[in-house]
Amino acid sequence: MVITIYPKLQFTYTRFFSGQSCYKTSLNREAKIMQPGFFNHLLLISLFELKRAFATRKGMLSLITFAVVWYFILLYPLRFAAELLVQEKGLKQDFGFLDFIGFGSIQHWSIPEFGVFWHFALIIFPMLSITLAADQTSSDRERGTLRFIVMRSSRDRVFFGRFAGVMVIQALLIGATAFSTFAMALYRDATLLSSALPNLLVLIVNLILVVLPFTAMMAALSAQVKSARQATVWAILIWTFMTGIISGFAYYLPALAFLKLLIPGYQLSELTQLSGWQTLQLAYIPVLQGLILLAFGRWIMARQAL
Amino acid sequence: MKSPIIQCQQLNHVYSDKPALCNVNFELDAGDPIGLVGPNGAGKTTLLSILSGFLRPTSGTVRLFGHPPGTAQLNGKVSALPQDARLDPSFTLTEQLFFYARLQGMTGQQATLEASRVLEEFALKDAAHEKPPVLSHGMAKRAAIAQALIGNPSLVLLDEPTAGLDPVNVRTVRAVIAEQSSTTTFIISSHDLTELDRLCRQILLLENGSLQTEKIRTDEQQTASRFITLQMEACPALEVIAKLKVLYGVLQVTNPQKNEFIVEYNPDLQPNMDQQLMQTIHTNHWQYRQLSHGKSLEEKLFFRDGNGTKN
Repeated sequence: MVITIYPKLQFTYTRFFSGQSCYKTSLNREAKIMQPGFFNHLLLISLFELKRAFATRKGMLSLITFAVVWYFILLYPLRFAAELLVQEKGLKQDFGFLDFIGFGSIQHWSIPEFGVFWHFALIIFPMLSITLAADQTSSDRERGTLRFIVMRSSRDRVFFGRFAGVMVIQALLIGATAFSTFAMALYRDATLLSSALPNLLVLIVNLILVVLPFTAMMAALSAQVKSARQATVWAILIWTFMTGIISGFAYYLPALAFLKLLIPGYQLSELTQLSGWQTLQLAYIPVLQGLILLAFGRWIMARQAL
Repeated sequence: MKSPIIQCQQLNHVYSDKPALCNVNFELDAGDPIGLVGPNGAGKTTLLSILSGFLRPTSGTVRLFGHPPGTAQLNGKVSALPQDARLDPSFTLTEQLFFYARLQGMTGQQATLEASRVLEEFALKDAAHEKPPVLSHGMAKRAAIAQALIGNPSLVLLDEPTAGLDPVNVRTVRAVIAEQSSTTTFIISSHDLTELDRLCRQILLLENGSLQTEKIRTDEQQTASRFITLQMEACPALEVIAKLKVLYGVLQVTNPQKNEFIVEYNPDLQPNMDQQLMQTIHTNHWQYRQLSHGKSLEEKLFFRDGNGTKN
C-alpha cells in the first residue's frame, strides 16, 4: 500500500536563497543497447579477472613472486634433476632409487625435463590453485562490490565468470612454466623440438585438468566464507578430513572405495606413474569432480545473501 | 492498463528467528520519488535488499517489472545503491564504471561516455582515475550513487544516499535525483526526513517490519483543517502562541520544537492564513525564518497528535 503525503509547500516564504542547480545530463535513453547474453557476460567478467591478475599492482606482485619462485625451481632442482637423468640414461644405470621415491615414471618421459616438470607441477599447481583461486567472490561479497555486479548480471554469470577467469589465469601460468621447461630442453638439445611439442601439449592439457577440481572447490568455498584466508584454511581442513575419512571407510569397507573419486587430486598419485598421452586416461576424474563441485558452488551462490 | 513497477505480496523475512519483515504488501507505480522511512531496525535495508535481489525473502513474492529480483531481464532497468557497499579497491573509478556499463550491454565507446557522464554529474571527474582507497567518504559515496545511474535505469533503489555527505554534496545528490526523476523512479530510504520531504510525494513507513498505513490514512482524512509550519528566529514562545491563537480561523497552535510553531486552521474561515500570519509577525516585530504550508514529514509520520508527543 502506498501512503501519499498530501500536497504541501504550495509556496514558501524563505530568507534563504535557494539557487538553481546547474547540472546537465546527456541522457541517452534512445541509444540502442543490446542485452548481453550469458556467454558475453562470462567473457566480460573473466576478462576483468584477467585484468585484476595482470594489470593491477596486487596482481603483478603475485605474478612476480610466482615468476621468481619458478625461476629458481627451473634453474636448480629441475635443471639439475634433468641433467642427472640424461647422464644416468647415457650410463644405462638402473633407476631403482627413483622408483623407490616414487619418481620412477620420469624415465618413461622421452624428454627428462618434462618428466621432472610433470612431478613438480603435480604438487605445485594444486597448491597454487588453493591460494590463487581462494578469493573468487568472498572479499567482493564482504565489501559489497558483488552487489554492484549482480545488479547488472546474475549470480550464475558472476560465479561461472569468475571461475572461468581464474581457470584462464592458471592456464596461462601453466603454459608459461611448461614453455620455460620446453625452452630449457631445447637449449640442451635443439633436435628435440618435434618430439617435445606433443609432450608440451599433453602437459598443459593435463595440468589444466588437474587444477580444475581444486579451482571449483575454491569457487564453492569462496561463495560461502568471508575471506580468501578462510577459504584456504577450510579447503585444507576439508581436503584432509575428507581424505582421512573416505580412506578409513574404504579400508574397512572396500565397496566404498569409489568414494575416493570425490577427493580432488585423488588421481594425482596414479598420474605420477604415467607419462605422455597415457596421462589423459584419468582425465574423467577431475572433469567429474569439477562438475560436481561447480554444481555445489552454484547452489551455495544462489542461496547466499549478498 | 498501467502495470505497477513493484509488486510485493505477503513478504516475510526472518533473520535467525528474528522477524525483519512481516506480511508486507504493496504495489508501486512509476513516477515521483518514493520515500522509505522508519526507525533503526524497522526493515528498510532488508526490504531494499530483497527488491535488489541481494537477499531471498523467507516467504512471499516480489516482482519488479513483472520479473523476480536479480534476474537478467532486469539488467539495466533496475539499479541500486546498497548501504555500505564499496567499490573494488584494485581498480579506478573509470575502470569499474566502464565495466558496469559494459555489463549493461553498452559498447566500449558508449561505456566510456556513460562512465564519464555519471562521474561528471557527481563532480567526480577529477577523481575518475583514482582508486577507491584514496577517496574521501563523501567521494566514495557519490561514486557509489553514480554507478546506480549508469544507463538511466527505470528504477533506482537508494539506501541512505545522503548519509555522511556534507550539505554541498547533499544538494548535488538532490539535484541529480530531481532532474532524473522525470524518467526514473527513485525509492529512497533515509532518516533525513527533511530531505525526503523535499523530494518525495509518496512515503512507505516501516515499523517493526510492517508497513504502517492506518495512522497516516487517518491523518489524510482530516481535510477540514489545514496546517502551516512557522519557523521563527529567537522569540517569546508563549507570547507567539497566545497571539496566533486569537487570529481568526486558527484552531490550534502547537510548539513541537524550539522556535517552531504549527498552526492548525480552518481554510473555509480564513483561506489567506499565510498572509494573516505574515501580518502578525510584522506587527509584532518578530523575525521569522520560514513559513511553509503543511506539516513537516517528521510531524506527519511520528508526531501526529500535534503536541509533540509520539504516537
